[in-house]
Amino acid sequence: MLTLIDLVGLLPLLIVASTAVLVMLGVAWRRHHGGTAAVTVSGLALALASLPLASAAPSSPPLMIFDGLALMGSALVLVSGLFIAAMSHGYLAGYRGPREEFYLLLLCAVTGALGLVASNHLATLFISLELLSMPLYGMVAYSFRTERSLEAGIKYLILSAAATAFLLFGMALIYARTGHLELTALAAGVAGSPDPWILGGAALLLVGLGFKLSIIPFHQWTPDVYQGGLAPATTVLATVSKLAVFLVLLRLVLVAPVFGSGWLLGLISLLALLSMFGGNLLALFQPDLKRLLGYSSIAHMGYLLVAVIVGGPLALETTGVYLFTYIVATMGAFGVIMHVSGTGSGEDASGLHHYRGLFWHSPWLAALLTLSMLSLAGIPLTAGFFGKFYIIALGVEGSRWWLVGGIVIGSVIGLFYYLRVIVTLYLREPGMQQAVADAGRGRVEKLALLIVAVSILLLGIYPVPFIDWVAGLAWAARLL
Amino acid sequence: MELGFYLSGLVAVLATVGLISGSSPVHAVVYLIVSLIAVALVFFALGAPFAGALEIIVYAGAIMVLFVFVVMMLNLRPEAKRDPLWLRPGYWLGPSLLALVLLVALVALISDGQAGMTIDGELITARDIGLTLFGPWLIVVELAAILLLAALVTASHVGRRNKPRGNRNRGGTR
Repeated sequence: MLTLIDLVGLLPLLIVASTAVLVMLGVAWRRHHGGTAAVTVSGLALALASLPLASAAPSSPPLMIFDGLALMGSALVLVSGLFIAAMSHGYLAGYRGPREEFYLLLLCAVTGALGLVASNHLATLFISLELLSMPLYGMVAYSFRTERSLEAGIKYLILSAAATAFLLFGMALIYARTGHLELTALAAGVAGSPDPWILGGAALLLVGLGFKLSIIPFHQWTPDVYQGGLAPATTVLATVSKLAVFLVLLRLVLVAPVFGSGWLLGLISLLALLSMFGGNLLALFQPDLKRLLGYSSIAHMGYLLVAVIVGGPLALETTGVYLFTYIVATMGAFGVIMHVSGTGSGEDASGLHHYRGLFWHSPWLAALLTLSMLSLAGIPLTAGFFGKFYIIALGVEGSRWWLVGGIVIGSVIGLFYYLRVIVTLYLREPGMQQAVADAGRGRVEKLALLIVAVSILLLGIYPVPFIDWVAGLAWAARLL
Repeated sequence: MELGFYLSGLVAVLATVGLISGSSPVHAVVYLIVSLIAVALVFFALGAPFAGALEIIVYAGAIMVLFVFVVMMLNLRPEAKRDPLWLRPGYWLGPSLLALVLLVALVALISDGQAGMTIDGELITARDIGLTLFGPWLIVVELAAILLLAALVTASHVGRRNKPRGNRNRGGTR
């Protein structure tokens, strides 16, 4: 039964969900863009503030688990959600049509992500995953009068439904063999020699989750949806969605020994290698910044899969550090895109030519984009370096030499296109004086961008407190 | 029981193929109804009468009626042109045949079993499901509620009329 004490652990999720209801009631009463954004941001901030309280919860409600992994995931989800909500205000200011629904959908997606990272049961896993994806269809297709946005939304909807079918079928197969849906019971049920049905079910689960992570054979939707979707929606896809799904995949692998079986791990290794090379090679000559970031996210998910393959005590810590550094850098890059574009003119400024000579009229934005690109490339003194360092250390410790080689080669290829973006920023274009429309962007957005920039630098220069925090959570999660 | 299971499963697959291959929404809905009834029969054959009954009441009954209403309200073609088309055998033959197969399977199952035979195993009743859903699974119900809210908001946003309305700040028209 769900008791009152269980609700303490659920506090962040409850706060975000009730903020969503509050926003809905507010929209029904009176539309006010600024007010809606303020309510959203304060709800997310309140949920973030309630995390320490939730971590001290004595028990977990049924079907959920609040361990270090869930806590880490919730913190990352809420931080990204806060950033996106803050940036959306400026971005949507130029949007013609109702803007308030976007925040409502964002809050619903964040609720789903919070449920997903804490799910301990295939039913919660499934419903939360759907709750994470469903608002995203609406968010990607939000400016549905522009062709690309609607196309991206429909593409994501249909392909995501297909992936969900795979996921459900995998769950059905596993349930048919073990008779359990609870992850821990399921792990005990498959503890013996795994038979083909369970392996097949696990592989189908991997397909379903791999789609959301856009691992290589399931990646075709990524560039189109990234390019066509509204920049804040794409940011949700690149941060909240990816990290929550990845953490749940990690939880499955850590809990259920079936994922540790030889050929399934071999399969994941192959997918990881494919994603590292494929993502980087596809991004190589990409003239569109959003597509480029989409391909780059494929490569990053490939690197991260190494943590899943190696497993063990260090994997959790590695995942935490890498995910955070990846998310901060992605938020920086998309923050600049959101700031430069606006939906007033319809499509986002996503082509690289929009950013040609950005440095010469808005040096701060160019600096942030440079910093994000360097961090994504894993250059020292930025956050990305430590993420990459951890992943390579983990691969070396697990003596997965193929994967380590893949990471190194992938990073070298990656360096080329990240630097290509940076070079574009500093090219001086004669006669090009179209300044970025800076009007209508409030202080909140600038503050959010500043915080992201500072945290990229801070994590690159002095990461010890952050790493200690992640290590503490990872240690707490291992006890369970 | 095996016969009923496989036959209904086959009918469900065929009806769904018919659903996605047709071009007229009304005929697609008819196929969908057949498909849902077939899935309900699959549930009955597996010994889950409650799920089967729900499938018929909720999906084939309520939601499909809504679908038909929406299709009729959209009314894509003028009435006069459409009526004779409906009566062409190519349109109603497929779903009727599939429904007939289902009927045969049902009759065969009923005539096959002796009277008084019951489903063994744990019979799941509405009470059990209610107790589970509003006991330990409460959080799943709540998450599903938020999911429906998100779906509703998405649908109402994307299904909006061409002119943006109710926007006090800008009120721009296209």
